[in-house]
Amino acid sequence: MIDAIKEAVLTGDRDKVVELTAAALEQGMQPKEILDQALTPAMDIVGEEYERGDRYVPEMLISAEAMKGAMARLKPLLAAIGVEPRGRIVIGTVEGDLHDIGKDLVAMMLEGAGFEVTDLGVEVTAEAFVQAVRERNPGVLAMSALLTTTMTNMPVVINALKEAELREKVKVIIGGAPVTQTYADQIGADGYAPDAASAVKLAATLA
Amino acid sequence: MALGPLLGGKVRLVSDEDILMIDRTARSILAETGIDAGGEPFLEIFAAAGADVQGNGRVRFPGRVIDDAIERTPKRVLLHSRGGTPPLDLGGQRVHLGTGGAAIRVLDLEDGCARDPKLADLADIAWLVENLDNIHFFLRPVVARDVPPDSLDVCTFYTCLANTGKHVMGSAASPKTAKDVIDLAVLVARGRESLTENPIISFITSWMISPLTLDTGTSKVLMTVAEAGIPVALSSAPVAGSTAPATLSGLLAQAHAEQLSGIVFAQAIRRGAPVLYGTVPAVADFHTMGYAGGAIESALLNAGCAQLAHSIGVPVYSDAGLTDSKVPDIQAGYEKGMNILLIALAGGNYIHHSAGMLESMLTVAYEQCVIDNDINGMALRALRGITVSPETLAEEVIASVGPGGNYLTQQHTLAHIRTDEYFVPATADRQGRVAWETAGSIDARERAKAIAREILQRSRGEFIPSDVERQIRNRFDLANCEA
Repeated sequence: MIDAIKEAVLTGDRDKVVELTAAALEQGMQPKEILDQALTPAMDIVGEEYERGDRYVPEMLISAEAMKGAMARLKPLLAAIGVEPRGRIVIGTVEGDLHDIGKDLVAMMLEGAGFEVTDLGVEVTAEAFVQAVRERNPGVLAMSALLTTTMTNMPVVINALKEAELREKVKVIIGGAPVTQTYADQIGADGYAPDAASAVKLAATLA
Repeated sequence: MALGPLLGGKVRLVSDEDILMIDRTARSILAETGIDAGGEPFLEIFAAAGADVQGNGRVRFPGRVIDDAIERTPKRVLLHSRGGTPPLDLGGQRVHLGTGGAAIRVLDLEDGCARDPKLADLADIAWLVENLDNIHFFLRPVVARDVPPDSLDVCTFYTCLANTGKHVMGSAASPKTAKDVIDLAVLVARGRESLTENPIISFITSWMISPLTLDTGTSKVLMTVAEAGIPVALSSAPVAGSTAPATLSGLLAQAHAEQLSGIVFAQAIRRGAPVLYGTVPAVADFHTMGYAGGAIESALLNAGCAQLAHSIGVPVYSDAGLTDSKVPDIQAGYEKGMNILLIALAGGNYIHHSAGMLESMLTVAYEQCVIDNDINGMALRALRGITVSPETLAEEVIASVGPGGNYLTQQHTLAHIRTDEYFVPATADRQGRVAWETAGSIDARERAKAIAREILQRSRGEFIPSDVERQIRNRFDLANCEA
């Protein structure tokens, strides 16, 4: 059963993963066992294949989606026995910017890697970021911008976090085409990732 | 070397039948799926144009609304230069090549490091382009990072206009700055009417976020520009596999639908508004999901878009000259060489990005402008094809030389070797090995750097007369615009 679930995650067959997870629970397998022995190892393989260049991003995302299908079923069961997610992340595209694909990609990858992700969407104001940090208490706040004209809203959010006395409670990471490590340093962000896979690694070190 | 226009359209990668099928699919997408136009004032504008508008922002387009808009769209757009060069005559299969992009990095000409572009770089690149004959227009290639955002649009256009007489295209961040830029151009053109009759500037507006979603902020800029009667390129940049289907024809169908909706929009704002069909399509690299501008599939998509625009008779803003390489290397050369030649042969009217670009659209290099000037020159030479006439067939001179002779000192030879019959790239080395070694064994990149340095040292022309300069300074605070 474990192997079948792993295989279904690897091929990205969400329906099958959900079905097999339900069957495994019915047979008396523990939620933590399914997570630790099937889902997480499968996603580790996916990650390794991606790193080696054997797997494309869409092929990785489809596996992450399949994993999410199983997690929807397992999450309440895991919470009931006190298993915490790997970390909480709040993510959004900054104010004035409607571009969401890069941000969506990072969010999907983070979820696939076992993080609990709150996606605030696009055109997220500093106030909305601050409110989400206050309410969700995430380990990491991730911001995206595609435009040189909107990336300047990133330091605005960081300042708003300082004013709300939340800056010390959350790590801030940024990304997007015009954003660089230098810019991250300049505005006092905790990290920058050039692509989605690096964003997951970065989050894992910070969350 | 004479500047364009030269005729493309010699390569048709998509059959007429398939173009029809893509067009039909695009129209079906607009009738069934439609676009998301956000809210007002866009819904009212689309409703007035006859589109089917839903309260949730979804707008669907009956075929006759599209046909009416195409009918109203000018089939020819003239973009003017200053200093006596004939205007770019966009439409049909006439090909022009120029810079493009809003790169956020520049390779320093001396140390080769990627750094933030400054306004001085924009001025220098404009002057470089002014001196390179096979770059026909100047679309601001870099974003000056040393200018405050509020002053950026006016400073950008001012700097471009002050350093080249070639046609200047750029963008505006808001309707207010678009109006400022137009006011600036009115002063340079010496009158509003003169500007609309002989537009020396034009705009690029990325009014649509693929798939099928209006960028409501930029769409307001588009409205300002179209209302003023200034030519505008409708830019949407669908990427196969992320913001468009992974199949090339699927992307073309969606992209064409987006363009048709933009044409309806522009014509609803101002009947007869001069617009350019402006898809900037590409495929993704599926390992990074990044924009693979140098991919051969991206070139195929651009050639397809040129054909789609030709099929509805609207002048086309094309895209060639991108490479994913970070430096002017072999990859940059083969990717640019392929896509520039292909899009020129396909008949792109206003081919942007075809000078200076590296790292897709993120970096510009001075020496790459010089190299691309040669690639453009070769592509334009290919467009001219082979002239066949009694004079060029040269039967008389063949008879007079006869078997076993040579043509070295024939008058006929002398009469043709310095004409359009030959294009001589400035950066190519054709010497023998010994001569090349004696000259320092340098490669094309180094030769291009030397040419760029020489041009940058030339004394610069005055592109804005002093009386106009005074008027500009009375109207605008140019404190942030000192390049």
